[in-house]
Amino acid sequence: MALIHIQNVSVAYGWPSRPVLSNLDLSIEEGEFVCLLGQTGCGKSTLLRLILGSELPTAGCVLIDGVERRQPDRTCGFVPQKYSLFPDKTVLGNITFGPEVNEFNLLTRLTPRYFRRRRQFRQEAMHYIRRLGLHDADAGKYPDQLSGGMQQRVAIAQALINKPRILLLDEAFSALDPGTRKDMQRLIRQLWRDTGITVLFVTHNTQEALYLSSRVIVLAKEAPDQGSRIALELPVPELCPEVQISTMVMRLDDASGCTREPDDAALATA
Amino acid sequence: MGHKFQLVHAIPSRTWAVLLSWFLFALGIGLYLQTAHRRHQENTDDRIVPTVPQMARSTYDAAFKPAEDDEQTIAENASLPQRFFASMLWKDTKATSRRFFYSLLLLTPAVILGLHMGLFPYVGVFFSRFVLFFDKIVALSLLPILFIAFGIDELSKIMLIVIGVTPTIILDTFNLTRSVPREQIVKAFTLGAGDFDVAYRVVLRQITPRVLNSIRLNLKAVMLFLFAGEMIASTDGLAYRIALLRRHMGMDVIIPYVLWVALLLFLVDLAMRLINRKLHPWFHEA
Repeated sequence: MALIHIQNVSVAYGWPSRPVLSNLDLSIEEGEFVCLLGQTGCGKSTLLRLILGSELPTAGCVLIDGVERRQPDRTCGFVPQKYSLFPDKTVLGNITFGPEVNEFNLLTRLTPRYFRRRRQFRQEAMHYIRRLGLHDADAGKYPDQLSGGMQQRVAIAQALINKPRILLLDEAFSALDPGTRKDMQRLIRQLWRDTGITVLFVTHNTQEALYLSSRVIVLAKEAPDQGSRIALELPVPELCPEVQISTMVMRLDDASGCTREPDDAALATA
Repeated sequence: MGHKFQLVHAIPSRTWAVLLSWFLFALGIGLYLQTAHRRHQENTDDRIVPTVPQMARSTYDAAFKPAEDDEQTIAENASLPQRFFASMLWKDTKATSRRFFYSLLLLTPAVILGLHMGLFPYVGVFFSRFVLFFDKIVALSLLPILFIAFGIDELSKIMLIVIGVTPTIILDTFNLTRSVPREQIVKAFTLGAGDFDVAYRVVLRQITPRVLNSIRLNLKAVMLFLFAGEMIASTDGLAYRIALLRRHMGMDVIIPYVLWVALLLFLVDLAMRLINRKLHPWFHEA
């Protein structure tokens, strides 16, 4: 049975109702790296929020391991494009937030056990800090003292330390400069290979989608007054000849209406 | 075509900045001294615009002697601190400060309510209309009702401040809570946080510096309501003394008292600003 199962899901906003997604069916297996591709406003982030549980469908249902999603929980780690870190906490505080709230509430934080466990949480957080390419000295910094790329590294560490089954990234690298973006893409791909976590990555960049994922799903609207559906589903082989990639790029661009970004042209073949 | 000089881009030098920023103070003091001098030439007993030596004498008496209506006496050989702590100024300051800080403490539930209203939709729906309505009531118009309901003791004065300032603080906190990005709240839940973790460990911590700033901006309103209460019904306090001395045209004490209140408020504001900066090093005012 698929890990994520989206059954005949429709989403519409406002009155008169404006459809965003129409009768969408999708299954994602455990350990897959799926990229959702499509133009702005096609409902990629909406679909992500449905899986996250922060939004409910107008019709249909979203199941994870056969259980219907009603609200966000630890099953899914989440890395948004912006506001991914708590500004009042240091890098270390941000990463240890998850383990701390899972084991201790406002009252049990006053017990000696909390201070013992906190040391362990910090050690584990330091391991993630190093693994994600940050320095020990960054641990005491606040998010506004970090660059965009560093902030997203911390956000990924913050999500991974909780060991979620699914990692959801909503245009997580869109605001980064091309160099940092490439670094982050390599990092997330490596983490996926190492941990075997299921990743769902929302992007509007065809090259990025092809480089990262094991499957690309294109969402597109057939008509302006209709909700998006799956326009194309394309498995991406691990080792892919350059000619085949070029063909896939063209097919994906045609299906999604996305344009190719020159900065990332070489990435798909990297 | 010649370029017009744009005043918007003119940056005063440090010397000019200092000179200009103190100019109105110097002008005010100069005008006052000139008026006091002229009036005292016409009438040596003038009490409307007291001279600096007159005010200095009265300030010394206020700061080191008990009030005339105070039954307490000070020993002849008492030290200066002993005299100060038995003085009229100290007793009035103590009485006003006590009411002021009780009022500030009572704003804590207002912050908590605003936080819950902003975060939990049912709490928001339940309270928001009522608080919005309450915010429009002119607090001073409730003064007679408060005196009738709570008597003329401390409670009515503190209630006046609470009623006057609380709705503003509740609504400010509500808006600040709503301004916390939704992503942060969703993220906290994905990390395993519960409702109260999100409320107190994510949202409250983020909005605290802004709430403190909001309280700072409302300090003057707190003081205004406190003075109104003290002036109408009190037997001690800075405003009571000012109201009492008004009857005797005691401008030589009123003016130093007004400046003393301004100084105290400035110090409270400064202390809150420094504490805010110390406790929240991550916070940068926009």
